[in-house]
Amino acid sequence: MTSRPWSESLRGPAGALGTEHAPAYLPIDRAFALVNDYGTGRALLWRGPAPAEANEVATLWRRAAEAPRPHRVAPEEVVEGYGVFTFPYGPISMGVPESGRFDVRTYGERILTLGPVAGFKSRRILGALPGLTPEDALLRVERLAGNFSAAHAAAFLAAVESAAAIEVARTELWTRALAQELERIYNHLHQIARVAEAASQNVGLAQTHALAEEMLRIEGRTFGHRWLFGALAPGAPTRRLDPEGRRWLGRALRELSGRFEVLLELFLGSRTFVDRLQTTGVVSRERAVRWGAVGPVLRATGVAWDDRLRAPSVPYTDLFLELPREDGGDALARILVRAHEVRSSALLLEQLLDRWPGDAMAREAPAPPVGPGRGLGRVESPSGDLVYEVRLTNGRIASVGMRSASHANWPVFAESLRHAVFTDFHFAWESFGLVFAETDA
Amino acid sequence: MSSWVGQAIRRGRLTTRYPAEPATELELPMLARAPRPPAVVPDRLGAIAACPVAALSAAGGSGIRADEGRCIRCARCAAHGFDFSGSAECSRPDRAGLLVPPVPSGPGARAVPLRQLGRSVHVFLVDAGSCNACNHEVLALTNPYYDAQRLGIFFTNSPRHADVLLVVGVPTAEMTEPVRRAFEALPSPKAVVAVGVCPIGGGVFQSTPGLAGSLEELVPVDAFVPGCPPAPVSVLDAILGLLGRSRARTEG
Repeated sequence: MTSRPWSESLRGPAGALGTEHAPAYLPIDRAFALVNDYGTGRALLWRGPAPAEANEVATLWRRAAEAPRPHRVAPEEVVEGYGVFTFPYGPISMGVPESGRFDVRTYGERILTLGPVAGFKSRRILGALPGLTPEDALLRVERLAGNFSAAHAAAFLAAVESAAAIEVARTELWTRALAQELERIYNHLHQIARVAEAASQNVGLAQTHALAEEMLRIEGRTFGHRWLFGALAPGAPTRRLDPEGRRWLGRALRELSGRFEVLLELFLGSRTFVDRLQTTGVVSRERAVRWGAVGPVLRATGVAWDDRLRAPSVPYTDLFLELPREDGGDALARILVRAHEVRSSALLLEQLLDRWPGDAMAREAPAPPVGPGRGLGRVESPSGDLVYEVRLTNGRIASVGMRSASHANWPVFAESLRHAVFTDFHFAWESFGLVFAETDA
Repeated sequence: MSSWVGQAIRRGRLTTRYPAEPATELELPMLARAPRPPAVVPDRLGAIAACPVAALSAAGGSGIRADEGRCIRCARCAAHGFDFSGSAECSRPDRAGLLVPPVPSGPGARAVPLRQLGRSVHVFLVDAGSCNACNHEVLALTNPYYDAQRLGIFFTNSPRHADVLLVVGVPTAEMTEPVRRAFEALPSPKAVVAVGVCPIGGGVFQSTPGLAGSLEELVPVDAFVPGCPPAPVSVLDAILGLLGRSRARTEG
């Protein structure tokens, strides 16, 4: 079997859909490469070739937004040999209930290399934002990735408020954190349920899936919407949480985390479940750091890095956050990180509800604008670090750049499945928690 | 293993009584319901202008017509006296049926396209370009709270084994061909359900160039489920409606 650089095979077979849908080449670790914290110059984790200037980053963002669609997330090399062929998985499959394709190089059983092909769901969202008011843009941003809507809305609003130097009511910042932590618990429960499904743990699947549904009902009762669309607003809160609603929320969350503890113990007591996840989809710490992995993927390799701790903003400055970390780098480690984050988010929510600010409290000044009319917003989405860059002109959006956790984690995801077998795919996919909707914005 | 079973038994029955009983407040939160204008709208033009997706228009007299197929439930019209109070049975067999109050239209679509399938129907989910919320809502039908299997609704892994295509998301240029092919792969009789406002009329992305305006331009649609996203009970009702087993039908 021989290997050669992937770039040499760009004119290869177009896949099952014919030439018109031939993916264009876009090496994701270059095009989406971004440096953490480039705005303030405090680079904690550099990824890819580091752009010297913020302008250069903006160019990369723009190029990513204008990239031909669909585009391929290229593995480092292409493998040739007797019987080796490319198996296109997707864009429509029930295994991954989103539209995206994976070009699997294989000879029948092992995945030699895996090339995710994103861009099938490009809704041209970011390109359509310029000219809109921030309020109208928010309607589109929160529908960019529905299961991460609170994270996207919070990062976008933080960027807008920083660009326009708008002061934010303290209750609004509290509401944002509350919405994001609720969303985090839902997504972790959903991901654990999907891993249980892949491992044929049917009772575990049903019970965890039921908890995820309970989470959605809690969100629906609290904000009127199961996916938190419209829950967040620029400046001051539109929807106020009354004391009765907060008491109900606290009770419901305590009940839910109690149930989850029971399930977690049962999962970890199940030999078949733990054995199946161990050593599946391994990401080494060295590779995770070098390729710029974020979120639970990075924390599962032993790196305790979380945006809520990196540069904590209100209200995280005032709260105790227990940051879970595992060392295995495999699907089990990622699931354990997620499971423990359900616990730590529940603890955060308890603190948020206990110390809910009165409306009369002082207003919180936002981060100062990075440049003239330009602001950055950054939050820890359920799958990891999410950055928005917003430029404003006359109170309207001039441009929006976004780098999501899914952008950052594609390369390590593809890498973690090299030399795995087909059945490992879903364990890696579900434990990574990647969302095509984020990259296809 | 016995502890798993014990845990499941201790939790008891979670499954909804829907469709035997109406959907509860928890199953159908406020913004999963349809907008209803007040009897008198004080500032009609202001209300129409407040809607960011042009779902409101002037109706005869001093009334307002709401297009549920466009409404993304942003609740901006709440400032003009609108409330969200529709029921779970919000799906309609034709696009015009989503207008409230309705406009007189010609002969409607086949109301019960899959009646002969009776008590067993297989569905396949296709994402034409969604934000993932509708995907999760459709998959929620398999959780113990909705348990679609109890009603004879099964998810399949191939369109060739399916009777119903559930399409979520606004159809993108890249997905038009895959959606058409998935539709062609379904054996007859078959039906297509547009889940959410995105496949019905583009939702919040309706004016973006490069996106198909609606799913109807690609494949024939048999049921329209408005909502952003629709509640799982509404999706359940739409599938049952294809079989003539909708709660609305059995009651009325």
